[in-house]
Amino acid sequence: MAFPGQPAPGGGFYQGGYGGAPGGPAFPGQAQDPLYGYFAAVAGQDGQIDADELQRCLTQSGIAGAYKPFNLETCRLMISMLDRDMSGTLGFNEFQELWAVINGWKQHFISFDNDRSGTVDRQELEKALMNMGFRLSPQAVTAITRRYSTHGKISFDDYIACCVKLRALTECFRRRDASQQGFVNFQYDDVSEVYEII
Amino acid sequence: AGSYPGGPYGGGPPAAPYGQPPPGAPYGGGAAPGGPYGGPQPGPYGGAPPGGNAPPGVDPEAFSWFQAVDADHSGYISVKELKQALVNSNWSTFNDETCLLMINMFDKTRSGRIDVYGFSALLRFIQQWRNLFQQYDRDQSGSISFSELQQAFSQMGYNLSPQFSQLLLARYAQRSSNPSIQLDRFIQICMQLQSTTDAFREKDTALVGNVRLSYEDFLTMVVTRML
Repeated sequence: MAFPGQPAPGGGFYQGGYGGAPGGPAFPGQAQDPLYGYFAAVAGQDGQIDADELQRCLTQSGIAGAYKPFNLETCRLMISMLDRDMSGTLGFNEFQELWAVINGWKQHFISFDNDRSGTVDRQELEKALMNMGFRLSPQAVTAITRRYSTHGKISFDDYIACCVKLRALTECFRRRDASQQGFVNFQYDDVSEVYEII
Repeated sequence: AGSYPGGPYGGGPPAAPYGQPPPGAPYGGGAAPGGPYGGPQPGPYGGAPPGGNAPPGVDPEAFSWFQAVDADHSGYISVKELKQALVNSNWSTFNDETCLLMINMFDKTRSGRIDVYGFSALLRFIQQWRNLFQQYDRDQSGSISFSELQQAFSQMGYNLSPQFSQLLLARYAQRSSNPSIQLDRFIQICMQLQSTTDAFREKDTALVGNVRLSYEDFLTMVVTRML
């Protein structure tokens, strides 16, 4: 079965009122990817970035536009989402992939934020999640809304936090569903794995 | 977990492989939260205002605290206001997740805020947990370390592996040679564990020790029980 939450490849960076454009200094000898500027600005000698550095990097890149910087917890989860070598840090390739994923989510958010308020309400959130392929019960949508909304509205960075969690939970499930049947047997002790995510 | 007599999760009450929730002690006699383990702080002017005119059924002290915490005098306490009012033994304010879990538990109107009755019940709730915390904090350090956490789970009736406690400490404790958690994380962990256990128990009607979940069931369970 197909798992939801795989956004389309990232769109362009220029989004008018929604986000800044990259434009950091090009790094000599590297590919002409403007992203490398942001990455190199925070990465140390080892060419890897941890959660703190990722937070700085994303904030400086302006991908959140006018919004407040990404929550550190969200950054930690984003790293574990893409951290293939389990190092707790991201190299540049992994960072590029993350950027594409976040951009995909951002396009999605924009398309559901009908009044361009920078926030979505419960209804818009439900539609956005369904559109990404998550089939969630009404109780689940209510729980998500309660967790991530302020005065009934979900901001962009909280929306990202939500997407990251749902994706990480999906991966957790998928890893156990080797035969792709859509069902998994969970031992009681397996709940510990979920604690790594939430 | 190894195999013990009595079921897949080891010893414990019959037909309860998931262990028991902590004792639901009734509110014992008017002790106000406070002391070395923290609790609601007095307002900025020090000391709680007198608790006259408390609504019927509400402890006057709880009413004082409510008035002090309800900074904008809305008649309701939000997550943000609650967070400012609760401190751990190391003076850190309670984390967001714990405040949210507790607000949701006592919020009858599903508005994300609690009134004075909800707050009064919440204070009793915290007091019960604080008592347990102090009990498990054997060396009275103000925080719970690995062995203390393991013992806490065991005494609460949970049959969880040492790796589980290790994982929780790695996730929630400050990095140190002897990681430990404060009261807020302890409450959070226990509430989530209790919730998840109830969910498992509901689905594992044959009590075999595992549940078969569809993808949607899994997401719903985690999202409604653990966030």
